[in-house]
Amino acid sequence: MKRLGFLLILLPLLWLGCEEIPPVIDPNMGGNNPDEPTPVEEQERQVIIEEFTGVRCVNCPAGSQAIEDLISIHGQRLVAISIHAGSFAPPYPESLYDFRIPEGTGLLSYLGEPLGYPTAVVNRKLFDGEFDLQLGRQQWAGFIAQELLEAPRVKIDIQRTYEESTRQLDVKVRLYVQETITESDVRLSVALTENDVVDLQLTPASSTPDPAYKHKHVLRDMLSSFDGDPINEPLAADAVIEKNFSMALPEAWKPEKCHIVAFVNLGGTSKEVLQAHQVGVVE
Amino acid sequence: MKNLSARLLFLFCFLILSRLAVGQEENNGGQISGNLEANANFFMRDSLIGAANTPQYDRQLYGADAWLNLSYSNWGFDFVLRFDLFNNSNLLNPTGSYTDEGIGRWSIHKKIEKLDIAVGYLYDQVGSGIIFRAFEERPLLIDNALLGARLAYEIMPDWQIKAFTGRQKQQFDIYSSVIKGAAVDGFLSGGENANWSLAPGFGAVNRTLDDGAMNSMVATINTYTKDDAFVPKYNTYAFSLYNTLTAGSFAWYVEGAYKTEDNLNDPFGEFNLGDTAVIVGDKLFLAEGSVLYSSLSYANKGLGITLEGKRTENFDFRTRPQEQLNRGLINFLPPMARVNTYRLTARYNAATQTIGELAYQVDVRYNYKRKLGFNINYSNITTLDEELLYRELYTEISYKHKSNWTLLGGLQIQRYNQEVFEFKPEAPIVETLIPYFDFLYKFDRRKAIRFEGQYMKVGKDDKGQLHDYGDWMFGLVEFSIAPNWTFTASDMYNINPGKNSPSDVDTGEKLALHYPRFDVFYTHRSNRFSLSYIKQVEGVVCTGGICRLEPAFSGVKFTVNSTF
Repeated sequence: MKRLGFLLILLPLLWLGCEEIPPVIDPNMGGNNPDEPTPVEEQERQVIIEEFTGVRCVNCPAGSQAIEDLISIHGQRLVAISIHAGSFAPPYPESLYDFRIPEGTGLLSYLGEPLGYPTAVVNRKLFDGEFDLQLGRQQWAGFIAQELLEAPRVKIDIQRTYEESTRQLDVKVRLYVQETITESDVRLSVALTENDVVDLQLTPASSTPDPAYKHKHVLRDMLSSFDGDPINEPLAADAVIEKNFSMALPEAWKPEKCHIVAFVNLGGTSKEVLQAHQVGVVE
Repeated sequence: MKNLSARLLFLFCFLILSRLAVGQEENNGGQISGNLEANANFFMRDSLIGAANTPQYDRQLYGADAWLNLSYSNWGFDFVLRFDLFNNSNLLNPTGSYTDEGIGRWSIHKKIEKLDIAVGYLYDQVGSGIIFRAFEERPLLIDNALLGARLAYEIMPDWQIKAFTGRQKQQFDIYSSVIKGAAVDGFLSGGENANWSLAPGFGAVNRTLDDGAMNSMVATINTYTKDDAFVPKYNTYAFSLYNTLTAGSFAWYVEGAYKTEDNLNDPFGEFNLGDTAVIVGDKLFLAEGSVLYSSLSYANKGLGITLEGKRTENFDFRTRPQEQLNRGLINFLPPMARVNTYRLTARYNAATQTIGELAYQVDVRYNYKRKLGFNINYSNITTLDEELLYRELYTEISYKHKSNWTLLGGLQIQRYNQEVFEFKPEAPIVETLIPYFDFLYKFDRRKAIRFEGQYMKVGKDDKGQLHDYGDWMFGLVEFSIAPNWTFTASDMYNINPGKNSPSDVDTGEKLALHYPRFDVFYTHRSNRFSLSYIKQVEGVVCTGGICRLEPAFSGVKFTVNSTF
């Protein structure tokens, strides 16, 4: 029994004897990142976060707020798209809009169904130690910070012309290749998002949806195909590639709230995004 | 990982085949045994009940899961190898599709005198599992095996000490955090004639977060305000002291557990947005945790009484705090409500709340001359702030008439906090009243027929709407021809639809839908086959006290179970 008593005392002491060195916490850091789109020559790595959400998802407003918090830290270096797709996305009978679009549904299928909501995909990358592209809210900040440390392999410039009378939008995307990209399947995706769209959203505050809720970064349309248009030109270092897109904005969309988002992504097994950039439809 | 698995498979086959090749005489008593479980699902889209908009219903139409477990014992070694297969499976994520296959488990075990050695994927627990339990629940695709090593040593007769270290499995991958622990378990009694015994134990478990999980958490905390931010911990320690006292007809189990500061996630955390606005959602925080659990039971002459109580505070223990729902669980907190089996009595289940829960349960059973039986069960679960989570009164009376027929019936009354269990804001406490019966008639020694009937009456909310899906009726007929065949037909009917029942697309009127099910079971020795046509309403599905919300199902299921 003496041996037993000795062991009982020893066991917890074995662990408690060691003090760990804690990580450094710096809440609400950042603020030095650009609020306005960066000229292409000064462009650093910019990361895209694609949030999957729905007007019937009670926990999604907290996810959207978390993305706003991250944008306040990273500024224009973080580009957000909110994709309304999945089981929580069907609108209410009283909803003004149906935010679901076939491209959004296609993206959910392409990037994989999440275990729960809110959920987002960061740079469409399968990070070390992860099992899915879809990430829970507690994982976004870390992987965004990790991705921002990389140098951009390609820089993106977006030139646009918006004709108010016809609501015609013409977009010219220029890619400035920084280092030779050897992957065989490289694509350019161009999306149109709208910010601050007021419509119903279920929130934890009430069992009836909030009619004054402002939906952020809503994916309205894709100017390219939903998984990107293949880039067939050689992607050698210093190459410049230009692509043109155009569309007419529907009446219901406010051009001053709309953004053009362009990103270069891989096809095939890896769907990783190499660089993202966004500009407003109206300067 | 897959290369290692392939090599192990080769080694396992080589070992067995080499033994078979040298013949029976040199086999040293080697034995191979195993079992197969296989499920195939054929999905039939039914958007009216919500069986739609998943890859299986939209385009895949078919899904399968299978596990083949092989055990081989020889030369004092025990080898285990398991092949897992998932094709378009919806087990991992009920709204997603998962496809992969490979070696899901291997282990090698050897006992050398007093030393017991095991390596590989290990299932084990400390005490009742409150601080550590590596386990498998296939219906929810939980497989928390520890990939590592375990040593156990008999320090004296009836006293054993064990230590283990490893990382937790995630399907065919492994989490990066390291889990290690130790436990001492013993047994004391007053001798051959004494009517008492003690089975005390003490355990300790440590989890060390990996750098990736920590860096991710630090980045998240850095987005918080200074008031909400905290310095997270790499290491968390959990300790547990437990004992079973058996004296005559009484058995008393008690376990107290304490966890040092851990990085936890509160799904109902509040973020202040500067002014008066508050947003609710997942929020990390740092807290110590504790659990106190006890169960006292008495059994004598047909009477059985069990009292259970549990207090839980901040005892979510995961391989990393980023994991959600049923993923990455290191421990297991025993459920404190009755495990019901009838379709309607099992519709509302109390999932264990790891952040805060105060619960007790009383179960009384009495059997008179093996003819008349009574069972009353009462459970009450609240938060630590005394907000009601779940309450159930279950009564059951059974009567057995010779060997011809058995009648069982009773009443269940529930209160179920749907807002907390299913994250539905402002949902009222669901009130149910369920009378039920089960009648079994045996025509002869082979043929029997069984009828089940249940009716669920639910309460109304402030607006006069029936809670959740409203009232239900369920009926079942089962005809069996022993030992091979069983045929079952049942229907669950939403007789008075509630506010969450499906609506007519055009009129918006709530629909009273039928959810039929037909099963055929065929058993031949140790092989069992089943073929079922199923329409199933969405609901919370619990296995072993762990629950998740399952979407509706519509389609055909085929299962095979075999042991050899």
